Amino acid sequence: MGCCHQSCFWYQVSRRLRIKVKSPSSQDEKTREEIIAAREAKKISKLGKKQKSTLAAPSTEPGPAPASLTGTTIITEVEQTTITTKLTRTTTTSGCKKNVVEKQGAVAPTPIATVKSLPGIPGDESGVSEKSRDQIKAEREAKKAAKQAAKANKSTEKITQQLGEVTLDGANSVPGKATVKATSLATAPTEQKKPVTKAERRAVQEAQRAAKAQAQVQGKSSQSQGISLNASKSKLNTTSTPPRETELSPSKASSPSKSPQAIGNNTPKSEGRVKLFNHLLTADKDASLFINDAQVHPSIARLGVQYAQRTVVGSNARCIAFLHALRQVVNDFETPAKKEFGRSLDAAVKHHVDHLHKCRPLAVSVFNAYKQFKNQLTQLPTDKPETELKELLGHFIDTYIENQIGKAAQAISSFLQEKITDGDVLLTFGCSSLIHFICEEAKRRLVNFRVIVIDSRPNCEGQEMLRRLHVHGIPCSYVLINAVGYVMPEATKVLLGAHALLANGYVMARTGTAQVALVAHAHNVPVLVCCETHKFSERFQTDAIVYNELSDPNQLVRNEKCCLNNWQTNSRLTPLNLNYDITPPELVSAVVTEVAILPCTSVPVILRIKPDIGY
Amino acid sequence: MKEQPLKEVTQLIHAIKVGMVEGSYSITNKTLDIFKYIIMSKSWENADALMQIVRAQCRILQAALPQETVTANIARRILKLIREEFDLLHAKVQHFADDSQASLSLHKLVTQTSETNICVDYSLPQKGLREALLDHLQEVETELETSSENVCVQAEEHIHSSEIILTLGHSRSVENFLKRAIKKRQFLTIIVAECAPACRGHNLAASLANEKKVELIVIPDAAIFAMMSRVNKVIIGTHSVLANGGLRAACGAYTVGLAAKHYSVPVIVLAPMYKLSPLHLCEQDAFNMVGCAEDVIDYDSLAAREAKVYSPMFDYVPPELVTLFISNNGGHAPSYVYRLLTELYHPEDLEI
Repeated sequence: MGCCHQSCFWYQVSRRLRIKVKSPSSQDEKTREEIIAAREAKKISKLGKKQKSTLAAPSTEPGPAPASLTGTTIITEVEQTTITTKLTRTTTTSGCKKNVVEKQGAVAPTPIATVKSLPGIPGDESGVSEKSRDQIKAEREAKKAAKQAAKANKSTEKITQQLGEVTLDGANSVPGKATVKATSLATAPTEQKKPVTKAERRAVQEAQRAAKAQAQVQGKSSQSQGISLNASKSKLNTTSTPPRETELSPSKASSPSKSPQAIGNNTPKSEGRVKLFNHLLTADKDASLFINDAQVHPSIARLGVQYAQRTVVGSNARCIAFLHALRQVVNDFETPAKKEFGRSLDAAVKHHVDHLHKCRPLAVSVFNAYKQFKNQLTQLPTDKPETELKELLGHFIDTYIENQIGKAAQAISSFLQEKITDGDVLLTFGCSSLIHFICEEAKRRLVNFRVIVIDSRPNCEGQEMLRRLHVHGIPCSYVLINAVGYVMPEATKVLLGAHALLANGYVMARTGTAQVALVAHAHNVPVLVCCETHKFSERFQTDAIVYNELSDPNQLVRNEKCCLNNWQTNSRLTPLNLNYDITPPELVSAVVTEVAILPCTSVPVILRIKPDIGY
Repeated sequence: MKEQPLKEVTQLIHAIKVGMVEGSYSITNKTLDIFKYIIMSKSWENADALMQIVRAQCRILQAALPQETVTANIARRILKLIREEFDLLHAKVQHFADDSQASLSLHKLVTQTSETNICVDYSLPQKGLREALLDHLQEVETELETSSENVCVQAEEHIHSSEIILTLGHSRSVENFLKRAIKKRQFLTIIVAECAPACRGHNLAASLANEKKVELIVIPDAAIFAMMSRVNKVIIGTHSVLANGGLRAACGAYTVGLAAKHYSVPVIVLAPMYKLSPLHLCEQDAFNMVGCAEDVIDYDSLAAREAKVYSPMFDYVPPELVTLFISNNGGHAPSYVYRLLTELYHPEDLEI
């Protein structure tokens, strides 16, 4: 009750704070004046150039463009207003629709530049936000002025800029683009003047990006991203669609069919073949998803690729990677003018999470972390400067990782140490970081035990587990899942990892977990599921088919000689690669959480007291 | 007397070991050919001598191929045949009125005096035994040849249209059975568990995919439980049927059986009569074989360096997980298997 009361109080406080927020907006008179002045200057300079721009614009419709721009938040408020004012101005004065389109196209690339330049500006603190904003504005003005000169070849420029993001040498890709955009060939000669400044800017951006990439936690995965980016680049060349266009125009049905090979992603091509699983077929992950999106932070974009390619797998790993990326987003976030930090950040993060969801459906752990983060955002004090708020959020993320994942693992491990004694034979399935941690701990206590690792095709994650356990000198046996009945009589305990624990007590975990639990149950071997409470979900589910994920069916094909090799040619044959299955609570003896060792059915209890755990 | 293998027996053992002869059916066929050859050509004086030879060769086959129970099964059939024919001829000579020695009726079980039946002297020379045996052998051969077909015919009795069927690995009986079902019934969905590490399920799927009007889903073994909730029937083949009605089936069958039990899905086992063995094996070590582990994990991989890796070939499936056996003689409940065995083999031949 006390806890409940407290949370109520916080809610009220936050509400009060939110109400307060609205009042100070009137104090921004000065800044607004400044902005308006700047806007006027821009408009004048733009209008001067407007007459020139009569070239064929990329076939974007004016309708969706503003919507997509306003929907995103990394673009600063200033720009949004300029866009809209320009829109009205041009429509009233010239009434030429093409110009409007041109304008949008012209303004659109700038957010990329701002996003890129953010990490490069260290004095970007909100305390001196007025000044820094002015600086940025000045920079932007300079850029824009440079752009005005080359307005004639705007479309090609845009593409090159996009490509510059993707590849290191944007100059190489320019000729290809020029040929693609043969309709606007008249622009080609003028293009020759530009590349100097463009290239310089690109070089700066790339340097910043590289520095950032090094700072990233997962150094190894950057390779894969590089590959994917190259792939997406090649895709770009072949389909000849400017990224801006892919984002804005809805007519993108043609590209998905080619993309899967290019990215090596997991889209099942046999849409609707297995009727039972039609609902699980995810939207096509075509290249446009992975091409640098102006509104997606690079760290999130990288994470998306890592999710989609399954280089970051496992509930905990995904959660940690997400939180690290989230911290980058928070650090690089710049509050738009006249907006509250917390709310605009909330919207920005939501966009990022949506992007990740498109790459791969969010893990329950990630979703929970996001929920907690959002909760934290609403409770931010409004009277503090942005830097302090960012520090607060960074601190929150750190404590979340430490408490929910790190300390929880220790707690679970200490619970289980009592259960592991000399002569024990632990049976485990696949690879779980938590179970690895427990085994490591038990070995450190000099317990004499051995581990049987069960594995399943096609992922064979158990081999990774085997490798890790060998490092600690734990004796292991290894069998495939269909031989689980062969080794089960030897086992004294079954330890299983979980992806999530559902509110009805079912355990959602990697496919095969349920089978291991089933056989263990038949042999009367206790089944212990190890699961931190941050993986608890409020969903109810009774079978593995309603909500699941499909992986690449090609993984089932063993080699060139395999009979399934050309399954695509046979419309009646479908390999199916399910990701998760559901273990009913009657097959699980107990769930080990950091709170206690519980029966599965106690999940709702934990879910109720959960908000007060940890932080 | 030292038992020496016949040249044909040696050849068969070699062929099976090298993998030139595969599948229960062809092994049974080849074994039957050998015994036919023994009956035809070998110089044997009386029934007793013939039975000695058959037993000796069977023992050799069993010692060389302990996992192939069908060879022993067919030897038992031959022994029973010899006994029957001998009794029949003997009875004719002695003008016994009652025939029908083939089955033991309840009446006979109660009324028979034990001495008369057991103490038959098989060493007596019997005229026309060889011809009678060859005649009877012909019947056994035709039964064997038609067994697969006879099993398939029953497909219509067990499968209705738009049913979802799960099977494991690749059994020839199951393949023929399902092909028949696909011809007769529409909109079937067949889920094939691949049965790692050999993944012979892929072959079955590829073979069945040539048929029309069928949907084939290949799943990894790990997804059996997840898919089982949608399955109407499980149809599997088996390596042999044990005396208690249990199965010695491909590795993974136990999990399939348990999952089916969990979801109350009927498990139908296709087992022609020659797969019935009068053996009681209730634990893994009694009959299991461990295959090559290279398919499970690469020998040169880092993970494999110190791990013990097993690749067992069979699973024991207890009779309570089996709903129905379909043999060439029709359907049988697992609890009825013992009765079939007494009809099929002579009690004295259970131990060879």
